[in-house]
Amino acid sequence: MAVATLPHAQTADHGEVDRLYAETRDLRLNGFLLFLVSDVVLFSSFIFAYLYMRNTGQGWPPPGINRLDVAFAALNSVVLFGSGATMHYALENWKHGNFGRYAGLMVATIVLGAMFLCGQGYEYTTLYFREHVSWAGSGIFGASFFTLTGMHGFHVFVGVWYLTVLLLQSVHGVYTKQKYFGLTAGTLYWHFVDVIWVVLFSIFYLI
Amino acid sequence: MTVAAVHGGGIADHIHPEPQSFIRRYIFSIDHKIIGIQYIITGFVFLVLSGMLAELIRVQLMHANGGLVSNDTYNEIYSVHGSAMVWLVIIPLVTGGFGNFVMPLQIGARDVAFPWLNMLSFWMFPVAGLMLFSSFLIGAPVAGWTEYPPMSLQAGPGTSMWCAAIFLIGVSSTLTGINFLVTILKMRAPGMTFTRMPLFVWAQLATAPLSMVATTALAAALAALFIERQFGVPFYDPTKGGSPILWQHMFWFYSHPAVYIMILPAFGIISEVLPTFSRKPIFGYKMIAFSSVAIALAGFMVWAHHMFTSGLAPFLQLPFMILTFVIGVPTGIKIFSWMATLWGGKIHFTSSMLFAIGFLALFTFGGITGILLAAVPFDFHVHGTYFVVAHFHYVLVGGSLMGIFAGTYYWFPKMTGRLMNEFWGRLHFWLFFIGFNGTFLPMHWLGILGMPRRVPVYDPQFQGWNQFESIMSFVMTLGILIFFANLLVSIRNGKKGGANPWNARTLEWQIPSPPHYYNFKNIPAVYALPYDFSEPLPYTGLENELTDSPAPATAGAH
Repeated sequence: MAVATLPHAQTADHGEVDRLYAETRDLRLNGFLLFLVSDVVLFSSFIFAYLYMRNTGQGWPPPGINRLDVAFAALNSVVLFGSGATMHYALENWKHGNFGRYAGLMVATIVLGAMFLCGQGYEYTTLYFREHVSWAGSGIFGASFFTLTGMHGFHVFVGVWYLTVLLLQSVHGVYTKQKYFGLTAGTLYWHFVDVIWVVLFSIFYLI
Repeated sequence: MTVAAVHGGGIADHIHPEPQSFIRRYIFSIDHKIIGIQYIITGFVFLVLSGMLAELIRVQLMHANGGLVSNDTYNEIYSVHGSAMVWLVIIPLVTGGFGNFVMPLQIGARDVAFPWLNMLSFWMFPVAGLMLFSSFLIGAPVAGWTEYPPMSLQAGPGTSMWCAAIFLIGVSSTLTGINFLVTILKMRAPGMTFTRMPLFVWAQLATAPLSMVATTALAAALAALFIERQFGVPFYDPTKGGSPILWQHMFWFYSHPAVYIMILPAFGIISEVLPTFSRKPIFGYKMIAFSSVAIALAGFMVWAHHMFTSGLAPFLQLPFMILTFVIGVPTGIKIFSWMATLWGGKIHFTSSMLFAIGFLALFTFGGITGILLAAVPFDFHVHGTYFVVAHFHYVLVGGSLMGIFAGTYYWFPKMTGRLMNEFWGRLHFWLFFIGFNGTFLPMHWLGILGMPRRVPVYDPQFQGWNQFESIMSFVMTLGILIFFANLLVSIRNGKKGGANPWNARTLEWQIPSPPHYYNFKNIPAVYALPYDFSEPLPYTGLENELTDSPAPATAGAH
């Protein structure tokens, strides 16, 4: 169609514009970050619900329920935060091409993540069998504690499998030193799980 | 660049090759245009279904003693009617439907950022719809579309089905929000700065974060309700230490922003239709654009105005009331800008324009009753009455649905290459406009007189107006039936419209109707706003669009 010439129009080579347009677009990282934002909102809503219920009840923990075991949970947190550090250095080593160290640190991350899950399992069983605190049977305490930490534990569980898949993929050469979106996403996800745990640990065990 | 590099590297997903099989092309399509049309068709099917439920409500209310259905069935009917209209009709039509079809074309993109995710979002929608409607088979939800506990905790198994269905459509909405946000932020054509984007794109940009953030909060509330109903874990049951008010906070933290998810894209449609048919630049482009964002941000801070009568602490009532009044300011800016756009314009009264002007009148009316409802003392008087029903039907039907009709008449030629019939379009408008006002205007005074909403029987003194409303609702329905008949006939027999039947200036009108699979042969460069009707078009690189020159190499591959 006829387009009148604009005074400010430049004579761009449109094949060139097209090519640049296509080549500069890897948008998966943007999408993944937004997914993490929406996941933050999901956790925030449950945290709001927990704080709301906590402040409308009669004291916390409610009568008849003991305070949670801070010492064990702190130890378990150290395990999770340690896995955050190994994950960070795994990605750094990948960027620098040290495949051996990368693989070792990934295995360490996966093992630490699994250890955290075992710790959480131990904590749940202790609560259930020794303290008789359960999800449905202990009022709003059980509801909020098990729902939130369970959601977080589920995220760790998914993360452990995700990192395992990433490790296998990188062994099979899916990623290169220049292109490793999956590893970036895995690292971001794992740090996200860490940060959520900082919040959950503070609001359940410390205050 | 070679084709293999594009597809092998996993980048540039939006220039996917054109599929040849029917199923990959029209059923499980990853093309944003097909997905947009799929959303529109599915949304209209649900509009018919929930419209039938609305007519059942009106027939029941023809007589003060009811008599058509049992009281429980009546509860089920209005609960599913409300839920379906919000989640299965208006939100999918304005975001998934028009957003998908129009937005990538308007920003000069070949598809959305994540086409495959887009297909996934769409297919969650009909599944969620079927789940919601099939809840009738096992005892549909009865506590209204808001499903307040404790009633929603005590109701039959259909309420759990409702939770699952709304959760699913919520996931779909969140994914669409992520997809659109990345698309608009990252895939605009060269030269299309933020202040050169069409206003429909601005509206989608303001809506996408709402779909993304607010809907996730709703997912949490729904998950908790589902868990409590199925496993007895106490969140909302006051006898076990839970709080029914908690649900109201979580629900309205989503559902108030959801009101803007429903209306902001309709604002965007109106902002395209009004300048095109006034042949005049839009008045206050930046004010309209930025006020959408202001409304979206403020929308997160007003949710408790739905809860003034729920025992909200008085020191919280005042800030929520004032913040709600504040939303009237950006909304008013839009209304005045649209009226100033019409002022002195050469107005073409096409069907689309009639609906846009009707929108201005009805939405303004509904907005003003919204301000009245935000005033705490007045809200105490009319909360839970038909005044509220009148208010939200004016903003959702008179606002969003009129916007959807305006958008359908406006973009139908772009989707199909044919025009809808103008005579039947105008008849649709007048029947709908008169029927709508006849149905919902009397509800204002019925509400002030004290007629409660959600009741199958009522005080006989209100019967006269209720019968009038029911008869007028048939007129409105007749209008909608004419619309659907017009739509179906025009797909095959409508007058050919060509690339740009309205002489509109946004990018989607500069390419053939319907557009090619790859949208643009060359991605155009943009030099200015699309609304300066006296200037030459502010694009370069579109010279080949309407000629027979070959398609881009990437699009024609296998």
